[in-house]
Amino acid sequence: MKYLYIKLISYFLFYLCVTSAHAATPEFRIEIKDHLFFPAELTVPANTKVKLRIFNLDPTPEEFESYELNREKVIVGNSQTVIFIGPLLPGDYPYFGEFNPKTAQGIIHAE
Amino acid sequence: MLLSSVVLILREVLEGALLMSVLLALSWHQGYRLRWALASLFVGAVGAVLYAAEFKTISSWFDYVGQEVVNASLSLLIVLFLTLFSLFYTAYKDRYDRQKIVFMSIAVALTIIREGSEILLYLSGFTGKDDVLPSVALGGIIGAGIGMSVGALLYYSLIDFMSAYTRRVAYMLLALFSAAMLSDAVTMLTQADWLPARHYLWDSSSWLAEDSLMGQLLYALLGYEATPTALQLAAYICGLLLVLVLPSLYKKGVASDASN
Repeated sequence: MKYLYIKLISYFLFYLCVTSAHAATPEFRIEIKDHLFFPAELTVPANTKVKLRIFNLDPTPEEFESYELNREKVIVGNSQTVIFIGPLLPGDYPYFGEFNPKTAQGIIHAE
Repeated sequence: MLLSSVVLILREVLEGALLMSVLLALSWHQGYRLRWALASLFVGAVGAVLYAAEFKTISSWFDYVGQEVVNASLSLLIVLFLTLFSLFYTAYKDRYDRQKIVFMSIAVALTIIREGSEILLYLSGFTGKDDVLPSVALGGIIGAGIGMSVGALLYYSLIDFMSAYTRRVAYMLLALFSAAMLSDAVTMLTQADWLPARHYLWDSSSWLAEDSLMGQLLYALLGYEATPTALQLAAYICGLLLVLVLPSLYKKGVASDASN
């Protein structure tokens, strides 16, 4: 009986691993340095959910903001964060740093 | 720097100022003293300072989506208290005044925590930078001034003449604000991947861009979104129903209980 439980639990864990691996969201990295986004242009797959991991290497906070992506998030200085975007139709989606909008400009191409 | 700080502070102040104006107008129609607003300003400001101070820690919660979860929770609580207010406001005409005032105060304080913390984080980036600090501060004062003026304008246009009519308009604006908050909570949870993400239903940005002046104003007042998803739209409609329909049903229930 005990053996059966262990078997069932391991099946379940295996199932979890398989499904989560299958559902893995593509991840992209963006850095903020001197109030600029790197890379300023990023190409991501269209029609699928995408995970952006953003590193703010400046000591000051920044706000990732995009009307087109419908996203808004503050990233404090010297920290990282995660933003999920999409699924996006093919096209260009500009974003900017709301705290430094003159310099911090970026664009995401979905294709 | 001046212009961007005007825009940023204005956007944040506007949302709180508009909610406050609508609730102050409804208070005026109820004949309440408006002191509660000062208390909720104070509590909201203290909350905003605490939230901003712990922002880095909070942001890292739940694998770096703590900010979305906390903001969505604040939005959901605002909707809850606005719904409670509208229930009491509709069902009990001249009773439970203290409760109505408490519900309004909490909703405003929570709004200030959300918007205020963002202002504080923005300003914190300029501490010690003496070259830009004056223009940022001036921009902030101008932005806050414009936001409060718009709020004052709304308040005075909602209290004066034809009280039955303006009261109804104020209540309608409250419903729209509440709907916008619920829709915003859904957006936040989608951004955190706690709710499923889908394509948007339509794109009205060519007709009314979100970054235009009108778009910004409608965003702050009604939660205008040029590319909404089905989930956002559903949340918006739910928010409207919670304030416009649920209280009437509740009132009927209360009335039939009383007659039994």
